[in-house]
Amino acid sequence: MTSLRAHSTVADLPSVTFGQRSLMWWGTLGFMVIEGWTIALLLVSYLYLRQSAGAWPPAPSPSPSLVMPSINLGLMAVSIIPALFAARAGGRLDEPALKRWLLALSIVAVAILVLRWWDFRSLLVRWDENAYGTAAWMIVGFHSSLLLLDVLDTLGLTLFYFLRRQPVKSFSDAADNSFYWYFTVGIWLPVYLIVYVGPRVI
Amino acid sequence: MSSLGSDAAGPVTLEAGDVARDADALERTWRDRPGFWGWLCTVDHKSIGRRYVVTAFAMFLAGGIEAALMRTQLARPENAFLGADRYNQIFTTHGTTMMFLFAVPMMTAMGLYFVPLMVGARSVAFPRLNAFGYWTYCVGIGLLYVALLTNHAPDTGWFAYVPLSETLYAPGHRVDVWAQLVTFTEIAALCAAVNIIVTVFKMRAPGMSVDRIPLFVWAQLVVAFMIVFAMPAVAAGSTLMLAADRAIHMQWFIPARDGDALLWQHIFWFFGHPEVYIIFLPALGMVTPIVETFCRRPVVGYGAIVMANIATAFFAFGLWVHHMFATPLPELGESLFTAASLVIAIPTAVQIFCWIATMWTGRPRLTVPMLFVLGFLFTFINGGITGVMLASVPFDRQAHDTFFVVAHLHYVLIGGAVMPLFAGLYFWFPKFTGRLLGAGLGKWHFWLFLIGTNVTFFPMHILGLDGMPRRIYTYLASTGWGPLNLLASVGAATLAASVVLFLINVVRSWVAGANAGADPWGAPGLEWAVASPPPPYNFVHAPVVSSAHPLWETSGALPVVTGLRTDRREILITTTFDARPDARHSSPHGSFWPFYLALCMGVVFIGSIFRPYWVLIGTALSCIGLFGWGWESSRPIERERVAMPNGPVVERT
Repeated sequence: MTSLRAHSTVADLPSVTFGQRSLMWWGTLGFMVIEGWTIALLLVSYLYLRQSAGAWPPAPSPSPSLVMPSINLGLMAVSIIPALFAARAGGRLDEPALKRWLLALSIVAVAILVLRWWDFRSLLVRWDENAYGTAAWMIVGFHSSLLLLDVLDTLGLTLFYFLRRQPVKSFSDAADNSFYWYFTVGIWLPVYLIVYVGPRVI
Repeated sequence: MSSLGSDAAGPVTLEAGDVARDADALERTWRDRPGFWGWLCTVDHKSIGRRYVVTAFAMFLAGGIEAALMRTQLARPENAFLGADRYNQIFTTHGTTMMFLFAVPMMTAMGLYFVPLMVGARSVAFPRLNAFGYWTYCVGIGLLYVALLTNHAPDTGWFAYVPLSETLYAPGHRVDVWAQLVTFTEIAALCAAVNIIVTVFKMRAPGMSVDRIPLFVWAQLVVAFMIVFAMPAVAAGSTLMLAADRAIHMQWFIPARDGDALLWQHIFWFFGHPEVYIIFLPALGMVTPIVETFCRRPVVGYGAIVMANIATAFFAFGLWVHHMFATPLPELGESLFTAASLVIAIPTAVQIFCWIATMWTGRPRLTVPMLFVLGFLFTFINGGITGVMLASVPFDRQAHDTFFVVAHLHYVLIGGAVMPLFAGLYFWFPKFTGRLLGAGLGKWHFWLFLIGTNVTFFPMHILGLDGMPRRIYTYLASTGWGPLNLLASVGAATLAASVVLFLINVVRSWVAGANAGADPWGAPGLEWAVASPPPPYNFVHAPVVSSAHPLWETSGALPVVTGLRTDRREILITTTFDARPDARHSSPHGSFWPFYLALCMGVVFIGSIFRPYWVLIGTALSCIGLFGWGWESSRPIERERVAMPNGPVVERT
């Protein structure tokens, strides 16, 4: 074995960190990039089909309805509040507040997931009717799979906190859960604009 | 070292007894549980990396057997050895295996094994994700090879062009197998990429600033970013588009319903061309430490090589249309992609000149790894030159879909990836096993492989220029292609013989090879500072680095930082750019859930081929796995030092 000499000690370093000092934050960021990029590629494919089509939506498909998607978009915007407060409670190691805000986020998240059904219905086209319907359904569908994953993650974390005592690093995990929630909400905005609003304005 | 201060008392040589005691404690903490359960649940990056390498090499052998079957069929005109349908399945499986199941996994496997060792870390950032990626990859292999053995293998080429691969022309489930296999391999590659990026960003040894990162690690890092941006394209194309068109009648590629068949080619090649660089940049990363070690000097142009890697990755995403020159694209666009295809030769040439300069100014020793490096230079440069020829639109239109392209791509991939890989296997086999590979058999392997490669693929240039198309299962004697095809088949037999010699060498050496010791080559990287094979915890104490060649430029004892716990799995987190110690994180123990979740992925994606409801069943089963994963993460409860986001550090249980 190579002989070793002590240069310094790391014994005093923290064992729980938040944000970019935490591995999980970087892992979450990595998957956000992958998933965001996948949505970007789907949106580019949608626009690629759009530019080669005569009319958009192709007749006889109508433009999507904006009512329910706009309501759900508003709810998603509201959901940022409990996510933000959950992250702050995690950062203060304030378990009672964290549990309250996680519960609030869970309720809003489930409501958003339920309303997603009407987001699909508001497309007013079937997925197999034409390429326009296909692209719109797939983009909303792929985002829904991310939403489902994030809802499950939030519910799981909330459940764990209510079922049994959690280790300190779970406070950091809760902050990262909010971080991913911001992404899930944020990436919906270009989807909403291109898929729901776009056919009416371009 | 300017960026990392040492304790006021100054460096102290650690007592051998203390180091041994710490090593014993770490061994107990980091080793896997014994028996089959421990094997199944391991999250040790070396166990996973070794499995990945062995599995990917088995896929290389499978792809090689398929190639041998094709060469047997084509050895003479109007041969009846394989029928057209079987030939279609074999050539599709060959391409799919070599690209998706051998080349990319093998390169990421080498990274998953060696990156933590080279950066002085105890593990990868996400060990369970690593295991999940490996098992997902295995599910993909099972799917393709069960399909092949039951006459259901895909038969529309490794790129599955539409409309041929749509249900109208490809009924049944053969194309579905291809589409879902791709999904499994992409998930595995993305898991590996995130792991490598975060490991390199946050777990480098103290002092390993960005200008001291080993060049193999740089190559792995650049490729991991390429995977992040390339693989989603093919995952989206294969699963969300092609499979959806086939399974639930979506209309992505159906022109009659406003779809567009060319969209598939754009999506596929936006992934497919970077894929080539994803395969060969890590291989080039292997070349540098080998050239350094056997020329006894640091590589010439460290910064130039780093920039060449980054430039190659950047340009690689701007070339995809050169695979589509035979489609009706705007002329200006074609010109741009021609220019980009020519430009990318420059950073590759920069790397080659750096290695030549290193050899020129060093004292080269012609060991087996070096022979393979020289073979790589010769073969790859030839393949690169024909690549420049194919970048020209008029030439490409003549050679498109002929054997000329087959010759080009095999010169590039065998020369640019397989030869450096063999060099790397000879170089690092001692680290994997503690034994040296035999040099005598190694030289036989090298010469037969080099001769076999050129005898197999050089005639294909001429056959292509003579008009022989790709993907045909036979040809008439009157074409005059018989003699050169026979010669190529003789070359393939030579290649097969060389690989058999390598396998014999591996088995003999593993059982009774010369003991290697920690650093048999006198190499400079940190991976050579630990025993061969490395212990489960890699390093007793995290090394401190003050140069890009730590074992060459450290006099006396290796400086290390102490203070990581030995009674729980703990890893050192450092800052992203200058690698200053920042935190100690716990690392997970072995887990059943990665294996379980990979099986659930199998239920989702394989089930979706047959009935959509399997997606729901697989998702429900996955919920159990996700719950179990999270549940085991929430133990144990220990007292921790917490760095609050607003600054102070507090103790909290």
